Amino acid sequence: MTFWTLIRRSLRFHARAHLGVVLGAAIGSAALIGALVVGDSVRGSLRQRALDRIGKAQYLLESRDRLVTDSTNTWMAPFGNAHALGLHLPALASARQGAARANQVDLYGVQPGFWGFSTAQTHLHIETNAVLLNQPLATQLGVNAGDTVLLRFAKPALFSSEEPLSPQSRNSVALQLKVQEILTTAQLGDFSPVAGMTPPRNAFMRLDQLQQAAGLDGRANFVLEAGITAEQPKSFSKVRARLWEWIEQLGLGPPNWLWPMGVRDMLPADGAEALDSRLNNGWRAADAGLDFEILERQRAIELRSKRVFLDPAVVRLVTGPDVSQHGSSPAGFLSGRAELILTYLANLLQAGTNATPYSMVTAAGPPYMPADMRDDEILVTDWLADDLHVRPGDWIEMTSFVPESGAKLVESTNRFRVHGIVPLSGIYADRTLMPDFPGIENTDSTRDWDAGFPVDLKRIRPEDEAYWKEHRGTPKAFITLAAGQRMWGNRFGDVTAIRFPVPPGGSLEGSKRFWEVAFLCLVHPSELGLRFEPVRAQALKSAAQGQDFGQLFLGFSIFLVVAALLLMALLFQFGLEQRAAEVGTLLALGFTPKEVRRLFLREGAMLALGGSLLGVLGGLAYAKAMLWGLATVWRSAVGPSTLQFHATPLTLVIGIFAGTVVAVLTIWLTLRKQARRPARELLGGEVQSPRSKARSRGAWVALGAGVAAVGIVSWALIQGESANPGAFFGAGALLLIAGLGWAAAWFGRLARAAGAARLTLGGLGVRGCARRRKRSLATVALLACGAFLIVAIGVFRLDANRDATQRTSGTGGFALIGDATMPVVQDLNARSGREFFGLSADDLAGVNVVPLRVRAGDEASCLNLNRAQKPRLLGVKPELLAGRFTFADAAKGLDRRNGWELLRSSSRRKEALTDGSQMANGKSQMDQRLLTSVATGVDEVPAIGDANSIQWALGKKVGDTLDYVDEQGRAFKLRLVGAVANSILQGSLLIDEAEFVKRFPGESGYRMLLIDAPSNSVTQVSATLSRALQDVGLELTPAAERLNAFNAVQNTYLGTFQILGGLGLLLGSAGLGVVVLRNVLERRGELGLLVAVGFRRRALQRLVLSEHGALLILGLGIGIAAASVAVLPAILSPGTQLPYASLGLTLGAVLLNGALWTRLASWYALRGNLLEALRNE
Amino acid sequence: MPTSAPLLRLVNVTKRYDSPANAGALTVLDQVTLEVARGESLAIVGPSGSGKSTLLQIIGTLDRPTSGSVALDGRDLSGLDDVQIAAVRNRQIGFVFQSHYLLPQCTVWENVLVPTLACADAALRDSAGERAERLLKRVGLGERKSHRPGELSGGERQRVAVVRALINQPQLLLADEPTGSLDHASAQQLGQLLLDLNREEGVTLIVVTHARDLAQRMGRVLELRDGRLVSSAGGLVL
Repeated sequence: MTFWTLIRRSLRFHARAHLGVVLGAAIGSAALIGALVVGDSVRGSLRQRALDRIGKAQYLLESRDRLVTDSTNTWMAPFGNAHALGLHLPALASARQGAARANQVDLYGVQPGFWGFSTAQTHLHIETNAVLLNQPLATQLGVNAGDTVLLRFAKPALFSSEEPLSPQSRNSVALQLKVQEILTTAQLGDFSPVAGMTPPRNAFMRLDQLQQAAGLDGRANFVLEAGITAEQPKSFSKVRARLWEWIEQLGLGPPNWLWPMGVRDMLPADGAEALDSRLNNGWRAADAGLDFEILERQRAIELRSKRVFLDPAVVRLVTGPDVSQHGSSPAGFLSGRAELILTYLANLLQAGTNATPYSMVTAAGPPYMPADMRDDEILVTDWLADDLHVRPGDWIEMTSFVPESGAKLVESTNRFRVHGIVPLSGIYADRTLMPDFPGIENTDSTRDWDAGFPVDLKRIRPEDEAYWKEHRGTPKAFITLAAGQRMWGNRFGDVTAIRFPVPPGGSLEGSKRFWEVAFLCLVHPSELGLRFEPVRAQALKSAAQGQDFGQLFLGFSIFLVVAALLLMALLFQFGLEQRAAEVGTLLALGFTPKEVRRLFLREGAMLALGGSLLGVLGGLAYAKAMLWGLATVWRSAVGPSTLQFHATPLTLVIGIFAGTVVAVLTIWLTLRKQARRPARELLGGEVQSPRSKARSRGAWVALGAGVAAVGIVSWALIQGESANPGAFFGAGALLLIAGLGWAAAWFGRLARAAGAARLTLGGLGVRGCARRRKRSLATVALLACGAFLIVAIGVFRLDANRDATQRTSGTGGFALIGDATMPVVQDLNARSGREFFGLSADDLAGVNVVPLRVRAGDEASCLNLNRAQKPRLLGVKPELLAGRFTFADAAKGLDRRNGWELLRSSSRRKEALTDGSQMANGKSQMDQRLLTSVATGVDEVPAIGDANSIQWALGKKVGDTLDYVDEQGRAFKLRLVGAVANSILQGSLLIDEAEFVKRFPGESGYRMLLIDAPSNSVTQVSATLSRALQDVGLELTPAAERLNAFNAVQNTYLGTFQILGGLGLLLGSAGLGVVVLRNVLERRGELGLLVAVGFRRRALQRLVLSEHGALLILGLGIGIAAASVAVLPAILSPGTQLPYASLGLTLGAVLLNGALWTRLASWYALRGNLLEALRNE
Repeated sequence: MPTSAPLLRLVNVTKRYDSPANAGALTVLDQVTLEVARGESLAIVGPSGSGKSTLLQIIGTLDRPTSGSVALDGRDLSGLDDVQIAAVRNRQIGFVFQSHYLLPQCTVWENVLVPTLACADAALRDSAGERAERLLKRVGLGERKSHRPGELSGGERQRVAVVRALINQPQLLLADEPTGSLDHASAQQLGQLLLDLNREEGVTLIVVTHARDLAQRMGRVLELRDGRLVSSAGGLVL
């Protein structure tokens, strides 16, 4: 005989009584397991989606606007066949004569090897003039294989389109292509380098054809790589492999011990580094858009860029301040021989009344400049000296565009004293000093220039034309490099060429090869942004750390779990009460109360375990039901995601364990007070605790809480805070406490009542509530709390339409939000910008546009269930958002009242204020800041985001930092300095535009627009702008609509909670049935007496129903009354739509369910011969 | 045979219960003093409500006196905590109630062995099976040990309860109306059994009963009257 024998016997003997306990535990466990499986399913679906979007690629090199060559020398030798190159361009698509359109299309030119990365092992051959579409794009366009689509894209401009000298013509290309096939997900149709929930709209065509159409022969901008794998080595045992998979699912790096010896270097990050090294061994300058050219006449090798300006990183590495430390290294060797050149256009050179238009001016050092040349001096060619009639010592005014002014075409004028006059010959007659300005270099006439500014033809004289014809871009004047860089330096660079003179007698070809090799030794491709990212590891991490729906649904199901556990505890306790004599016997036989409790706890644990095991089935069904809900009625919570059912054995084990532990804990709580009664009482069958003599404190609680609730409501009404949800929710909660306090006091009064003047059956029933005051109060409290929670939660529903026009609201007061496929370079607030798009002043009367630069990244809103690793960045001028949105938080030490000014770090503000350069005397303050920014080595950038995005999508808090890498491969940090409350800015992080352009100079123009429009013409403005900016693929959405899409997530969560809470309440009302059953069974003797004195059975049922109906109505009444106060602001607010129908249905169902259970329980308990019970008494 | 030192000694044991307001306290036992020798058999009789069961429960440590002391085997029980009291009940006292209180889920064999689960004495525990076998045979239930209580007659159940009470070899066997729910024949059998075991096992037996014939078979008979213990002849017990 052992304890376990006793437990086993008890379990078997009391099996029927235990059934309810097991069911209660099973329901609780099912809700727990179900929630965890929902989490599994979301994680599994995200993982699947992550793998779908990158296929079998392990690493990705994305060079964006820096186009690499598709040379086999660069890629085949180091990477073999395990790579695929492609060209990725943003595009617009239309079909059926423009009847169907799609903006934000991702157009990929791919090599056949690309399809090797698909999980379906597809080997597609794309025909010429054919395109493959993924399903979402085909659906949007309404096309099938064999149909024709029109794809439009802009030829990528290597020279930033924001440069004033950039060609004005858009170079838009339209291709009419036949749809060859619609790709499935497994065929890599949904390929995407960034994590997002919206499936991309993808079109794939032959790489060579896209290169040709885009004028980018031999160029690519992304490379997929699968050569170095992060997969587990084949030598892995099954256990290790399984462990590996789990660790990978958790988004963690596998620990060292998991690696067999010698393969440690296979970790994802290491793999990327290894690939970078391989690239470093195989790359050429041309892969970074750089060319080494032989200048025969000048006997020099020149390094120049197709982007006109040489990357600062290149210049820094060759001539940086730390070069001196290199000594005899290649850097030191190069820097000692490099001549830096900056040539730019002077719009006007003027001396008195004489003026020379459109002249190239070179800024350089020796040998062009004499040693004593100062920064405010200029050398002029004799041609210019003659033209301007100047002599040494005279002053010349030079007017040129500020390169950073973009479409605004801001000019600045600086004065220079003529240092000397040089002949237009020798080194001063060098037309190669002018960089290859596209649109200028190959023209025969100044009048043919295609530049970003309107050439003033009236200024051009015959002698200017003649100069151009004879000398082309040969500079007419020379200034010091420092002076030129201060005037024309910009985010793209401040040098247009580096020359390496070839010593006399040296071989030009040999020197070129030498310099190329020397350059490659010095510059690592990653420093120019050419680096591999472990995209698979990142994608899996992003999915693994995604929105934890398990936890979320655990929260939603909490009331259901609690109700199930309470029911279980109730049943368990009743079971114990029925076994009071057994407890008494054990005590009498020498068991201590503790031993008895332990015995019953073990028995309860077995029941809990059984319930949890049973709960697995329920949990799986519950999870499927929840997933069905997320695919249908709760669709808004998951956006466009499709969720598949996934359940891992580990989750089930955890669920069973957690369910058992929670149930055992509940049983332990129930048992705490058991076996404390004397054995003699228990043996006598007494289960009722002696009546407390203490008077109930309920009345005082009711009074205190009630007064506080009234006080809060009065304060809110007097202060005009009638829409303050927090105050009213608090008042409601206090009222709930007051109601329960009052109920406790009422039960006490009933218990002490001397007797009614006129005794009625109903009155007798109601007085029955006082027999077991604690039990009655617990029943009322459960029902009241449930009803309160379910009704009051509605107060937290969000409505974007409320105050949508207020600048402090979540819309920022903006009427529209626009996303453009192609960047908008023009200033839509200026006349010139509007005219560019064919808009008149009337079209956009009262309209103001706040443009934002966009650096593509992970969607960091609640709509993306993945954990955003590198969120999308927006660059904005902080002053344009002044007073917009409401700041919810600011980093420690910062004042959130500073609002958007927080984006400017203190160091940069100081620099902006102290920058008083003479050379910059013609520039705006903003432009000065830009210049300052370029020179600033701040590696921490302040950023502001939406509070929800920061907390949920990023898993961060204000004050935290995020690691980023800029275009030049330099790591920097984003410091979250502030958070705005519930806004349309969800999904992105905002930084100062000045920082943005410094970090990402290649991101030209603006791809997001926030638009103010008069409230009565929003629709018309939207239509006008959409039409005018059709070619850039502008998609406009009402700001309130966008915000509502975000709000829908929270609102859906609340709805889910209400529904699951309602289920819990239903279960709670079933608990009422158990209470009824127990109450009646305990009183069968006295009910028998009533029969004996002539009561009919129906009357007894009325008696029982009146008692328990009172509890049901009291509970629901208190809960609903308190909740009504809590939701008052929502009810009073115009436009609010409370879910009256579902609430009414839920509460009605609870009432009916409670009544039904009460009826059933009383019927069951009153069946049979009650007189028998009387005889037993 | 009785030895010189009494097994049980009650000195001025009083038990009062609080009554509703203004009704004053109800004194059930009033200055009861009693000594019971080892191996003795004692019957306590008295009318309903006289406090017989209360006295037995105080002796059996199921209740505590309002005042006075109870000493078992020379050890004062009033100063013991719950764990020590439980150990005393388990090792030194055996109970037989009017109702058998057998665990319906367990077999006869298991019911008999239940007290051993709370016993800290390993040797006693180890030999419990053998004792159970012997005692069950002794009470005529050797063949019924795998039966459940529901499969036994009332008399058989009480005999199982007696064996259960003796399994840990207690010094004192307390029986509270042991024959109260039995028919005459079964009551006779049980009474005889208790006396036989008292003799054979050397266990001191105290029986509370209404049944005069059972009481008369005990070595000594005392009566509780108005809270006081008097000899059956009417003299106050000292």
